[in-house]
Amino acid sequence: METRTVTAMETVIETRALTKKFGERAAVNGVDLTVAAGVAFGFLGPNGAGKTTMIRTLLGLTQPTSGDVALLGLPQPAKRAEALARVGAIVEEPKFHPHLTGRENLKIVAAARDRAAEARIPESLERVGLAHRANDRVKTYSLGMRQRLGIARCLIADPALLILDEPMNGLDPAGILEMRRLIRAFVDEGRTVFLSSHLLDEVEKTCDQVAIVDQGVVVVQGAVGEIAATGDPTVLIEVDDAAAARRILDGRQIEEEGKALRIKLTAGVTPAELNRLLVTAGIGVSRLEPARATLEETFLSITSRLETNE
Amino acid sequence: MRLIRAEVLKLVRRRGLMTWSLILTVGAVVVAETIVVALHAFNPAHHGPAGGANNLDNYMFLVSGLGTVAAILIGATAGTQDVGNGVFRDLVVTGRKRATLFNVRVPGALLVILPMVAAAFAIAVGGAFLFSGSLADPSWSDVAKYGEYIVASMVVNVVVAVGLASFASSRVVVGVLIAWNAIVGPLLAHISVLGSVRKGLDIAATQHFLPLHNGNTPGVTMTTGTALLVLAVWVLLFSSAGRWWTNRRDG
Repeated sequence: METRTVTAMETVIETRALTKKFGERAAVNGVDLTVAAGVAFGFLGPNGAGKTTMIRTLLGLTQPTSGDVALLGLPQPAKRAEALARVGAIVEEPKFHPHLTGRENLKIVAAARDRAAEARIPESLERVGLAHRANDRVKTYSLGMRQRLGIARCLIADPALLILDEPMNGLDPAGILEMRRLIRAFVDEGRTVFLSSHLLDEVEKTCDQVAIVDQGVVVVQGAVGEIAATGDPTVLIEVDDAAAARRILDGRQIEEEGKALRIKLTAGVTPAELNRLLVTAGIGVSRLEPARATLEETFLSITSRLETNE
Repeated sequence: MRLIRAEVLKLVRRRGLMTWSLILTVGAVVVAETIVVALHAFNPAHHGPAGGANNLDNYMFLVSGLGTVAAILIGATAGTQDVGNGVFRDLVVTGRKRATLFNVRVPGALLVILPMVAAAFAIAVGGAFLFSGSLADPSWSDVAKYGEYIVASMVVNVVVAVGLASFASSRVVVGVLIAWNAIVGPLLAHISVLGSVRKGLDIAATQHFLPLHNGNTPGVTMTTGTALLVLAVWVLLFSSAGRWWTNRRDG
Protein backbone atom coordinates (compact mmCIF):
# COMPACT_ATOMS: atom_id res chain seq x y z
CA MET A 1 0.00 0.00 0.00
CA GLU A 2 1.43 3.33 -1.02
CA THR A 3 1.51 5.51 2.06
CA ARG A 4 1.21 9.25 2.08
CA THR A 5 3.87 10.89 4.17
CA VAL A 6 3.34 13.81 6.51
CA THR A 7 5.88 16.31 7.74
CA ALA A 8 7.20 15.39 11.17
CA MET A 9 6.02 18.47 13.03
CA GLU A 10 2.83 19.11 11.07
CA THR A 11 -0.24 19.55 13.26
CA VAL A 12 -3.03 17.17 12.28
CA ILE A 13 -5.67 18.15 14.83
CA GLU A 14 -6.02 21.61 16.26
CA THR A 15 -8.96 22.92 18.23
CA ARG A 16 -9.39 26.34 19.76
CA ALA A 17 -11.98 26.96 22.49
CA LEU A 18 -14.04 24.11 21.07
CA THR A 19 -17.37 23.82 22.85
CA LYS A 20 -20.33 21.52 22.32
CA LYS A 21 -23.36 22.03 24.52
CA PHE A 22 -26.46 19.90 24.89
CA GLY A 23 -28.90 22.32 26.40
CA GLU A 24 -27.07 23.92 29.30
CA ARG A 25 -24.63 21.03 29.74
CA ALA A 26 -21.25 21.38 28.02
CA ALA A 27 -20.03 17.96 26.89
CA VAL A 28 -16.94 19.65 25.41
CA ASN A 29 -16.01 22.86 27.13
CA GLY A 30 -13.52 25.27 25.58
CA VAL A 31 -11.05 22.60 24.52
CA ASP A 32 -7.70 23.66 23.10
CA LEU A 33 -6.07 20.57 21.67
CA THR A 34 -3.02 20.17 19.48
CA VAL A 35 -2.02 16.83 18.01
CA ALA A 36 1.22 16.62 16.08
CA ALA A 37 1.62 14.37 13.07
CA GLY A 38 3.19 10.95 13.31
CA VAL A 39 2.26 10.10 16.90
CA ALA A 40 -0.20 7.89 18.70
CA PHE A 41 -2.28 10.31 20.76
CA GLY A 42 -4.40 9.02 23.64
CA PHE A 43 -7.55 10.88 24.66
CA LEU A 44 -8.34 9.76 28.19
CA GLY A 45 -11.19 10.43 30.50
CA PRO A 46 -13.76 8.74 32.68
CA ASN A 47 -17.12 7.72 31.22
CA GLY A 48 -19.17 10.76 30.31
CA ALA A 49 -16.11 13.01 30.16
CA GLY A 50 -16.93 14.06 26.60
CA LYS A 51 -14.50 11.88 24.62
CA THR A 52 -16.97 10.59 22.04
CA THR A 53 -18.63 13.99 21.68
CA MET A 54 -15.20 15.46 21.02
CA ILE A 55 -14.55 12.87 18.31
CA ARG A 56 -17.98 13.40 16.75
CA THR A 57 -17.37 17.14 16.72
CA LEU A 58 -13.94 16.74 15.14
CA LEU A 59 -15.45 14.63 12.36
CA GLY A 60 -18.38 16.94 11.70
CA LEU A 61 -20.91 14.35 12.84
CA THR A 62 -22.28 17.00 15.16
CA GLN A 63 -21.87 20.75 14.91
CA PRO A 64 -19.88 22.53 17.63
CA THR A 65 -21.65 25.20 19.62
CA SER A 66 -18.58 27.43 19.30
CA GLY A 67 -14.85 27.28 18.66
CA ASP A 68 -12.60 26.28 15.78
CA VAL A 69 -11.45 22.94 14.43
CA ALA A 70 -8.73 22.22 11.90
CA LEU A 71 -8.02 18.71 10.60
CA LEU A 72 -4.78 18.11 8.69
CA GLY A 73 -4.32 21.87 8.69
CA LEU A 74 -7.67 22.41 6.95
CA PRO A 75 -10.34 24.52 8.69
CA GLN A 76 -13.61 22.72 9.41
CA PRO A 77 -16.28 22.62 8.17
CA ALA A 78 -15.12 24.82 5.26
CA LYS A 79 -12.70 22.17 3.91
CA ARG A 80 -14.52 19.19 5.32
CA ALA A 81 -14.50 16.94 2.25
CA GLU A 82 -10.84 17.63 1.52
CA ALA A 83 -9.78 16.81 5.08
CA LEU A 84 -12.00 13.77 5.61
CA ALA A 85 -10.77 12.21 2.37
CA ARG A 86 -7.52 11.58 4.28
CA VAL A 87 -9.09 10.58 7.61
CA GLY A 88 -10.20 7.12 8.69
CA ALA A 89 -12.41 6.88 11.75
CA ILE A 90 -14.22 4.46 14.00
CA VAL A 91 -16.83 6.25 16.11
CA GLU A 92 -18.14 4.32 19.11
CA GLU A 93 -18.33 0.65 18.14
CA PRO A 94 -17.76 -0.20 14.48
CA LYS A 95 -21.10 -0.83 12.74
CA PHE A 96 -21.74 -2.62 9.45
CA HIS A 97 -24.56 -3.92 7.31
CA PRO A 98 -24.84 -7.39 8.87
CA HIS A 99 -26.34 -8.98 5.74
CA LEU A 100 -23.33 -8.00 3.62
CA THR A 101 -19.93 -9.67 3.62
CA GLY A 102 -16.89 -7.93 5.03
CA ARG A 103 -15.67 -7.16 1.52
CA GLU A 104 -19.06 -5.80 0.44
CA ASN A 105 -19.20 -3.54 3.48
CA LEU A 106 -15.85 -2.07 2.48
CA LYS A 107 -17.12 -1.63 -1.09
CA ILE A 108 -20.05 0.41 0.21
CA VAL A 109 -17.73 2.86 1.96
CA ALA A 110 -15.17 2.79 -0.88
CA ALA A 111 -17.95 3.98 -3.21
CA ALA A 112 -18.20 7.12 -1.09
CA ARG A 113 -14.45 7.70 -1.33
CA ASP A 114 -12.12 8.22 -4.29
CA ARG A 115 -11.71 5.55 -6.97
CA ALA A 116 -8.43 4.29 -5.51
CA ALA A 117 -10.20 3.27 -2.30
CA GLU A 118 -11.78 0.18 -3.85
CA ALA A 119 -8.40 -1.02 -5.09
CA ARG A 120 -7.10 -0.89 -1.51
CA ILE A 121 -9.77 -3.29 -0.17
CA PRO A 122 -7.86 -6.59 -0.62
CA GLU A 123 -4.71 -5.20 0.97
CA SER A 124 -6.63 -3.62 3.84
CA LEU A 125 -8.36 -6.92 4.61
CA GLU A 126 -5.02 -8.72 4.42
CA ARG A 127 -3.45 -6.18 6.75
CA VAL A 128 -5.99 -6.79 9.54
CA GLY A 129 -5.96 -10.57 9.04
CA LEU A 130 -9.49 -10.85 7.64
CA ALA A 131 -8.76 -11.87 4.05
CA HIS A 132 -9.88 -15.44 4.73
CA ARG A 133 -13.25 -14.28 6.12
CA ALA A 134 -13.81 -11.43 3.67
CA ASN A 135 -16.60 -13.25 1.85
CA ASP A 136 -18.52 -14.20 4.99
CA ARG A 137 -21.46 -12.11 6.15
CA VAL A 138 -20.55 -9.67 8.91
CA LYS A 139 -23.31 -11.02 11.15
CA THR A 140 -21.09 -14.10 11.62
CA TYR A 141 -18.13 -11.99 12.81
CA SER A 142 -17.02 -11.74 16.44
CA LEU A 143 -16.65 -8.30 18.03
CA GLY A 144 -12.89 -8.54 17.62
CA MET A 145 -13.27 -9.23 13.91
CA ARG A 146 -15.63 -6.27 13.57
CA GLN A 147 -13.05 -4.06 15.25
CA ARG A 148 -10.47 -5.25 12.74
CA LEU A 149 -12.89 -4.77 9.86
CA GLY A 150 -13.43 -1.24 11.17
CA ILE A 151 -9.69 -0.66 10.93
CA ALA A 152 -9.70 -2.08 7.38
CA ARG A 153 -12.49 0.36 6.53
CA CYS A 154 -10.26 3.18 7.76
CA LEU A 155 -7.30 1.90 5.74
CA ILE A 156 -9.09 2.02 2.38
CA ALA A 157 -8.80 5.81 2.66
CA ASP A 158 -5.01 5.47 3.04
CA PRO A 159 -5.45 7.90 5.93
CA ALA A 160 -2.93 10.39 7.23
CA LEU A 161 -5.02 10.46 10.42
CA LEU A 162 -6.91 7.64 12.12
CA ILE A 163 -9.45 8.55 14.77
CA LEU A 164 -10.37 5.50 16.83
CA ASP A 165 -12.98 5.61 19.56
CA GLU A 166 -12.26 2.92 22.18
CA PRO A 167 -10.59 0.56 19.67
CA MET A 168 -9.70 -1.99 22.38
CA ASN A 169 -13.31 -2.40 23.54
CA GLY A 170 -14.41 -6.00 23.64
CA LEU A 171 -11.08 -7.40 22.51
CA ASP A 172 -9.46 -10.37 24.23
CA PRO A 173 -5.82 -10.04 25.36
CA ALA A 174 -4.53 -11.35 22.03
CA GLY A 175 -6.78 -8.91 20.20
CA ILE A 176 -5.58 -6.02 22.33
CA LEU A 177 -1.96 -6.98 21.62
CA GLU A 178 -2.73 -7.17 17.88
CA MET A 179 -4.51 -3.80 17.93
CA ARG A 180 -1.57 -2.22 19.77
CA ARG A 181 0.81 -3.67 17.18
CA LEU A 182 -1.32 -2.32 14.34
CA ILE A 183 -1.50 1.15 15.87
CA ARG A 184 2.25 1.29 16.38
CA ALA A 185 2.76 0.09 12.79
CA PHE A 186 0.53 2.93 11.54
CA VAL A 187 2.61 5.43 13.50
CA ASP A 188 5.80 3.92 12.11
CA GLU A 189 4.40 4.54 8.61
CA GLY A 190 4.02 8.22 9.41
CA ARG A 191 0.30 8.17 10.10
CA THR A 192 -1.20 9.80 13.18
CA VAL A 193 -3.49 7.81 15.44
CA PHE A 194 -5.87 9.65 17.76
CA LEU A 195 -7.55 7.19 20.07
CA SER A 196 -9.84 7.40 23.03
CA SER A 197 -9.78 4.62 25.54
CA HIS A 198 -10.69 3.94 29.13
CA LEU A 199 -7.97 1.28 29.29
CA LEU A 200 -5.29 3.53 30.73
CA ASP A 201 -2.68 0.81 30.83
CA GLU A 202 -3.16 0.22 27.12
CA VAL A 203 -2.87 3.91 26.32
CA GLU A 204 0.33 4.05 28.31
CA LYS A 205 1.70 1.13 26.32
CA THR A 206 0.45 2.36 22.95
CA CYS A 207 0.54 6.15 22.90
CA ASP A 208 3.29 8.75 22.73
CA GLN A 209 1.15 11.71 23.71
CA VAL A 210 -1.92 11.96 25.87
CA ALA A 211 -4.61 14.40 26.90
CA ILE A 212 -6.68 13.78 29.98
CA VAL A 213 -10.21 15.09 29.75
CA ASP A 214 -12.75 15.42 32.51
CA GLN A 215 -16.19 16.99 32.42
CA GLY A 216 -15.54 18.29 28.91
CA VAL A 217 -12.29 20.02 29.82
CA VAL A 218 -8.77 18.94 28.82
CA VAL A 219 -7.02 18.90 32.17
CA VAL A 220 -3.53 18.03 31.08
CA GLN A 221 -1.84 17.31 27.76
CA GLY A 222 1.67 16.17 26.90
CA ALA A 223 4.01 13.20 26.51
CA VAL A 224 2.84 10.08 28.37
CA GLY A 225 6.09 9.82 30.36
CA GLU A 226 6.01 13.46 31.39
CA ILE A 227 2.44 13.32 32.58
CA ALA A 228 3.01 10.12 34.51
CA ALA A 229 5.99 11.79 36.21
CA THR A 230 3.85 14.67 37.47
CA GLY A 231 2.42 12.58 40.31
CA ASP A 232 4.09 12.34 43.75
CA PRO A 233 6.92 9.74 43.79
CA THR A 234 6.37 6.54 45.75
CA VAL A 235 8.51 3.72 47.06
CA LEU A 236 7.70 0.05 47.46
CA ILE A 237 9.08 -1.56 50.61
CA GLU A 238 9.02 -5.08 52.01
CA VAL A 239 9.72 -5.43 55.71
CA ASP A 240 9.67 -8.25 58.30
CA ASP A 241 7.06 -6.46 60.48
CA ALA A 242 4.53 -4.50 58.43
CA ALA A 243 2.46 -3.44 61.44
CA ALA A 244 5.52 -1.95 63.17
CA ALA A 245 6.53 -0.22 59.95
CA ARG A 246 3.05 1.36 59.68
CA ARG A 247 3.41 2.67 63.26
CA ILE A 248 6.85 4.16 62.57
CA LEU A 249 5.65 5.77 59.34
CA ASP A 250 2.39 6.99 60.84
CA GLY A 251 1.05 10.07 59.05
CA ARG A 252 2.30 9.04 55.64
CA GLN A 253 0.06 7.70 52.85
CA ILE A 254 0.59 3.92 52.82
CA GLU A 255 -1.15 1.34 50.64
CA GLU A 256 -0.72 -2.42 50.65
CA GLU A 257 0.36 -4.02 47.38
CA GLY A 258 0.61 -7.74 47.94
CA LYS A 259 3.46 -8.34 50.38
CA ALA A 260 4.79 -4.83 49.84
CA LEU A 261 3.78 -1.43 51.12
CA ARG A 262 3.55 1.53 48.73
CA ILE A 263 4.50 4.75 50.48
CA LYS A 264 3.97 8.15 48.95
CA LEU A 265 7.01 10.35 49.45
CA THR A 266 6.08 13.80 50.59
CA ALA A 267 8.26 16.83 49.92
CA GLY A 268 11.78 16.55 51.30
CA VAL A 269 11.56 12.86 52.25
CA THR A 270 13.95 10.58 50.40
CA PRO A 271 13.94 6.75 50.15
CA ALA A 272 17.24 6.72 52.08
CA GLU A 273 15.68 8.61 54.98
CA LEU A 274 12.74 6.22 55.01
CA ASN A 275 15.16 3.27 55.15
CA ARG A 276 17.09 4.84 58.03
CA LEU A 277 13.88 5.38 60.03
CA LEU A 278 12.85 1.73 59.66
CA VAL A 279 16.26 0.21 60.35
CA THR A 280 16.79 2.45 63.38
CA ALA A 281 13.48 1.13 64.76
CA GLY A 282 14.77 -2.42 64.37
CA ILE A 283 12.64 -3.33 61.35
CA GLY A 284 14.33 -5.49 58.72
CA VAL A 285 13.97 -4.05 55.19
CA SER A 286 14.26 -6.69 52.46
CA ARG A 287 13.16 -4.43 49.56
CA LEU A 288 13.12 -0.70 48.93
CA GLU A 289 12.27 0.29 45.36
CA PRO A 290 11.48 3.78 44.08
CA ALA A 291 8.37 3.48 41.91
CA ARG A 292 7.35 5.69 39.04
CA ALA A 293 3.72 6.73 39.08
CA THR A 294 1.73 5.08 36.30
CA LEU A 295 -0.47 7.05 33.96
CA GLU A 296 -3.41 5.41 35.69
CA GLU A 297 -2.35 6.82 39.05
CA THR A 298 -1.87 10.24 37.56
CA PHE A 299 -5.22 9.99 35.80
CA LEU A 300 -7.02 8.96 38.96
CA SER A 301 -5.22 11.61 40.97
CA ILE A 302 -6.21 14.33 38.48
CA THR A 303 -9.81 13.27 38.04
CA SER A 304 -10.38 12.67 41.75
CA ARG A 305 -8.83 16.08 42.48
CA LEU A 306 -11.41 17.59 40.14
CA GLU A 307 -14.21 15.77 41.91
CA THR A 308 -12.89 17.09 45.25
CA ASN A 309 -12.82 20.63 43.90
CA GLU A 310 -16.48 20.49 42.84
CA MET B 1 -22.79 6.12 -10.17
CA ARG B 2 -20.63 4.20 -7.69
CA LEU B 3 -22.84 5.30 -4.80
CA ILE B 4 -25.96 4.20 -6.69
CA ARG B 5 -24.37 0.81 -7.37
CA ALA B 6 -23.61 0.57 -3.65
CA GLU B 7 -27.28 1.27 -2.87
CA VAL B 8 -28.32 -1.50 -5.25
CA LEU B 9 -25.83 -3.90 -3.65
CA LYS B 10 -27.20 -3.16 -0.15
CA LEU B 11 -30.74 -3.93 -1.34
CA VAL B 12 -30.22 -6.95 -3.56
CA ARG B 13 -28.18 -8.76 -0.91
CA ARG B 14 -31.21 -8.78 1.39
CA ARG B 15 -32.53 -12.24 0.71
CA GLY B 16 -35.84 -11.79 2.51
CA LEU B 17 -36.62 -8.48 0.83
CA MET B 18 -35.72 -9.79 -2.61
CA THR B 19 -37.68 -13.01 -2.14
CA TRP B 20 -40.83 -11.17 -1.07
CA SER B 21 -40.47 -8.55 -3.78
CA LEU B 22 -40.13 -11.24 -6.45
CA ILE B 23 -43.12 -13.13 -5.03
CA LEU B 24 -45.22 -9.95 -5.01
CA THR B 25 -44.30 -9.02 -8.58
CA VAL B 26 -43.23 -11.87 -10.87
CA GLY B 27 -44.49 -14.64 -8.59
CA ALA B 28 -48.01 -13.25 -8.26
CA VAL B 29 -48.48 -12.87 -12.01
CA VAL B 30 -47.01 -16.29 -12.79
CA VAL B 31 -49.28 -17.96 -10.22
CA ALA B 32 -52.35 -16.06 -11.44
CA GLU B 33 -51.69 -16.90 -15.08
CA THR B 34 -50.95 -20.52 -14.28
CA ILE B 35 -54.22 -20.89 -12.38
CA VAL B 36 -56.28 -19.26 -15.14
CA VAL B 37 -54.53 -21.31 -17.85
CA ALA B 38 -55.06 -24.52 -15.85
CA LEU B 39 -58.74 -23.74 -15.22
CA HIS B 40 -59.31 -23.10 -18.90
CA ALA B 41 -57.45 -26.27 -19.87
CA PHE B 42 -59.41 -28.50 -17.49
CA ASN B 43 -62.84 -26.91 -17.93
CA PRO B 44 -63.00 -24.67 -21.02
CA ALA B 45 -66.80 -24.61 -20.89
CA HIS B 46 -66.83 -22.72 -17.59
CA HIS B 47 -63.51 -20.90 -17.78
CA GLY B 48 -62.54 -18.78 -20.75
CA PRO B 49 -59.03 -18.34 -22.18
CA ALA B 50 -56.35 -16.94 -19.87
CA GLY B 51 -55.54 -14.02 -22.20
CA GLY B 52 -57.37 -11.13 -23.77
CA ALA B 53 -58.18 -7.60 -22.62
CA ASN B 54 -60.16 -8.54 -19.50
CA ASN B 55 -57.48 -10.84 -18.20
CA LEU B 56 -54.89 -8.17 -18.92
CA ASP B 57 -56.87 -5.85 -16.62
CA ASN B 58 -56.82 -8.51 -13.90
CA TYR B 59 -53.11 -9.17 -14.29
CA MET B 60 -52.36 -5.44 -14.24
CA PHE B 61 -54.43 -5.07 -11.08
CA LEU B 62 -52.08 -7.62 -9.50
CA VAL B 63 -48.88 -6.08 -10.91
CA SER B 64 -49.79 -2.56 -9.81
CA GLY B 65 -51.27 -3.49 -6.43
CA LEU B 66 -48.68 -5.97 -5.23
CA GLY B 67 -45.91 -4.16 -7.11
CA THR B 68 -46.75 -1.06 -5.09
CA VAL B 69 -46.32 -3.06 -1.90
CA ALA B 70 -42.92 -4.26 -3.14
CA ALA B 71 -41.97 -0.69 -4.09
CA ILE B 72 -42.90 0.51 -0.61
CA LEU B 73 -40.90 -2.30 1.03
CA ILE B 74 -37.83 -1.52 -1.09
CA GLY B 75 -38.15 2.26 -0.70
CA ALA B 76 -38.58 2.01 3.07
CA THR B 77 -35.55 -0.28 3.33
CA ALA B 78 -33.43 1.99 1.13
CA GLY B 79 -34.40 4.95 3.28
CA THR B 80 -33.66 3.38 6.65
CA GLN B 81 -30.89 0.82 6.26
CA ASP B 82 -27.84 3.08 6.66
CA VAL B 83 -29.15 4.75 9.79
CA GLY B 84 -30.74 1.57 11.13
CA ASN B 85 -27.49 -0.38 10.84
CA GLY B 86 -25.44 2.50 12.27
CA VAL B 87 -23.45 2.86 9.03
CA PHE B 88 -24.67 6.35 8.11
CA ARG B 89 -22.03 8.04 10.25
CA ASP B 90 -19.31 5.97 8.58
CA LEU B 91 -20.49 7.27 5.22
CA VAL B 92 -20.66 10.84 6.54
CA VAL B 93 -17.07 10.72 7.79
CA THR B 94 -15.86 9.98 4.27
CA GLY B 95 -16.60 13.66 3.61
CA ARG B 96 -19.62 13.01 1.37
CA LYS B 97 -22.50 15.42 1.83
CA ARG B 98 -25.50 14.02 3.67
CA ALA B 99 -27.70 15.25 0.81
CA THR B 100 -25.69 13.17 -1.68
CA LEU B 101 -26.06 10.11 0.53
CA PHE B 102 -29.82 10.71 0.56
CA ASN B 103 -30.11 11.46 -3.16
CA VAL B 104 -28.70 8.09 -4.28
CA ARG B 105 -31.34 6.12 -2.37
CA VAL B 106 -34.18 6.74 -4.83
CA PRO B 107 -32.32 5.71 -8.01
CA GLY B 108 -30.88 2.73 -6.13
CA ALA B 109 -34.35 1.58 -5.07
CA LEU B 110 -35.80 2.19 -8.54
CA LEU B 111 -33.03 0.13 -10.15
CA VAL B 112 -34.12 -2.76 -7.95
CA ILE B 113 -37.91 -2.54 -8.20
CA LEU B 114 -38.35 -1.50 -11.83
CA PRO B 115 -36.74 -4.61 -13.41
CA MET B 116 -38.93 -6.85 -11.24
CA VAL B 117 -42.08 -4.95 -12.13
CA ALA B 118 -41.00 -4.84 -15.79
CA ALA B 119 -40.61 -8.62 -15.76
CA ALA B 120 -44.03 -9.05 -14.14
CA PHE B 121 -45.51 -6.61 -16.67
CA ALA B 122 -43.92 -8.49 -19.59
CA ILE B 123 -45.25 -11.83 -18.32
CA ALA B 124 -48.72 -10.33 -17.87
CA VAL B 125 -48.77 -8.74 -21.33
CA GLY B 126 -47.24 -11.84 -22.92
CA GLY B 127 -49.87 -14.04 -21.28
CA ALA B 128 -52.68 -11.71 -22.36
CA PHE B 129 -51.63 -12.09 -26.00
CA LEU B 130 -50.42 -15.70 -25.91
CA PHE B 131 -53.47 -17.16 -24.18
CA SER B 132 -56.15 -14.95 -25.78
CA GLY B 133 -57.58 -17.89 -27.75
CA SER B 134 -61.04 -16.94 -29.00
CA LEU B 135 -60.91 -13.56 -27.20
CA ALA B 136 -59.75 -10.32 -28.76
CA ASP B 137 -56.14 -9.36 -28.10
CA PRO B 138 -55.66 -6.35 -25.84
CA SER B 139 -54.90 -3.10 -27.65
CA TRP B 140 -51.34 -1.84 -27.65
CA SER B 141 -52.56 1.57 -26.50
CA ASP B 142 -54.00 -0.09 -23.37
CA VAL B 143 -50.68 -1.85 -22.82
CA ALA B 144 -48.83 1.47 -23.14
CA LYS B 145 -51.25 3.17 -20.73
CA TYR B 146 -50.81 0.40 -18.17
CA GLY B 147 -47.06 0.79 -18.58
CA GLU B 148 -47.29 4.52 -17.84
CA TYR B 149 -49.59 3.91 -14.88
CA ILE B 150 -47.32 1.30 -13.32
CA VAL B 151 -44.12 3.33 -13.82
CA ALA B 152 -45.79 6.43 -12.32
CA SER B 153 -47.11 4.42 -9.40
CA MET B 154 -43.75 2.75 -8.68
CA VAL B 155 -41.74 5.98 -8.91
CA VAL B 156 -44.02 8.02 -6.66
CA ASN B 157 -44.29 5.25 -4.07
CA VAL B 158 -40.53 4.68 -3.95
CA VAL B 159 -39.86 8.40 -3.53
CA VAL B 160 -42.52 8.81 -0.84
CA ALA B 161 -41.23 5.74 1.01
CA VAL B 162 -37.60 6.89 0.88
CA GLY B 163 -38.57 10.41 1.99
CA LEU B 164 -40.77 9.23 4.85
CA ALA B 165 -38.13 6.72 5.93
CA SER B 166 -35.86 9.61 6.88
CA PHE B 167 -38.30 10.41 9.68
CA ALA B 168 -39.66 7.03 10.73
CA SER B 169 -38.78 3.37 11.00
CA SER B 170 -39.28 1.13 7.97
CA ARG B 171 -42.19 -0.71 9.64
CA VAL B 172 -44.05 2.53 10.24
CA VAL B 173 -43.41 3.68 6.67
CA VAL B 174 -44.61 0.38 5.21
CA GLY B 175 -47.73 0.37 7.39
CA VAL B 176 -48.64 3.99 6.67
CA LEU B 177 -48.10 3.74 2.91
CA ILE B 178 -49.96 0.47 2.46
CA ALA B 179 -52.86 1.94 4.44
CA TRP B 180 -52.69 5.10 2.30
CA ASN B 181 -52.64 3.22 -1.02
CA ALA B 182 -55.20 0.56 -0.10
CA ILE B 183 -57.69 2.46 2.06
CA VAL B 184 -57.22 6.16 2.78
CA GLY B 185 -56.21 7.39 -0.67
CA PRO B 186 -58.95 5.57 -2.64
CA LEU B 187 -61.51 6.60 -0.02
CA LEU B 188 -60.58 10.28 -0.30
CA ALA B 189 -60.59 10.02 -4.10
CA HIS B 190 -64.23 8.89 -3.98
CA ILE B 191 -65.52 11.55 -1.57
CA SER B 192 -67.06 13.83 -4.18
CA VAL B 193 -67.68 16.64 -1.71
CA LEU B 194 -63.92 17.23 -1.70
CA GLY B 195 -64.24 18.33 -5.33
CA SER B 196 -61.10 19.37 -7.15
CA VAL B 197 -59.02 19.10 -3.96
CA ARG B 198 -58.88 15.41 -4.81
CA LYS B 199 -56.71 16.23 -7.81
CA GLY B 200 -53.89 16.68 -5.33
CA LEU B 201 -53.94 12.99 -4.42
CA ASP B 202 -51.10 10.94 -5.88
CA ILE B 203 -53.49 8.05 -6.36
CA ALA B 204 -55.83 10.22 -8.44
CA ALA B 205 -52.90 11.45 -10.52
CA THR B 206 -51.54 7.97 -11.24
CA GLN B 207 -55.02 6.64 -12.07
CA HIS B 208 -55.23 9.26 -14.81
CA PHE B 209 -52.91 7.03 -16.83
CA LEU B 210 -55.16 3.94 -16.61
CA PRO B 211 -56.93 2.90 -19.83
CA LEU B 212 -60.59 3.87 -19.60
CA HIS B 213 -62.72 0.75 -20.00
CA ASN B 214 -64.42 -1.93 -17.94
CA GLY B 215 -63.83 -1.36 -14.24
CA ASN B 216 -61.23 1.38 -14.70
CA THR B 217 -63.31 4.41 -13.88
CA PRO B 218 -61.28 7.21 -12.36
CA GLY B 219 -62.90 8.94 -9.38
CA VAL B 220 -61.18 12.18 -10.35
CA THR B 221 -60.61 13.45 -13.88
CA MET B 222 -57.70 15.70 -14.80
CA THR B 223 -55.50 16.54 -17.74
CA THR B 224 -52.22 14.73 -18.33
CA GLY B 225 -50.38 17.96 -17.54
CA THR B 226 -52.15 18.26 -14.18
CA ALA B 227 -51.47 14.61 -13.38
CA LEU B 228 -47.77 15.03 -14.15
CA LEU B 229 -47.67 18.24 -12.10
CA VAL B 230 -49.32 16.56 -9.09
CA LEU B 231 -46.88 13.65 -9.26
CA ALA B 232 -43.94 16.04 -9.59
CA VAL B 233 -45.12 17.93 -6.49
CA TRP B 234 -45.37 14.68 -4.51
CA VAL B 235 -41.90 13.64 -5.63
CA LEU B 236 -40.39 17.04 -4.85
CA LEU B 237 -42.18 17.36 -1.52
CA PHE B 238 -41.13 14.01 -0.10
CA SER B 239 -37.61 14.02 -1.52
CA SER B 240 -37.02 17.56 -0.20
CA ALA B 241 -38.39 16.69 3.23
CA GLY B 242 -36.25 13.57 3.43
CA ARG B 243 -33.14 15.44 2.28
CA TRP B 244 -33.80 18.26 4.75
CA TRP B 245 -34.13 15.88 7.67
CA THR B 246 -31.07 13.87 6.59
CA ASN B 247 -29.06 17.11 6.47
CA ARG B 248 -30.14 17.95 10.00
CA ARG B 249 -29.38 14.50 11.34
CA ASP B 250 -26.31 14.04 13.50
CA GLY B 251 -24.36 11.15 12.02
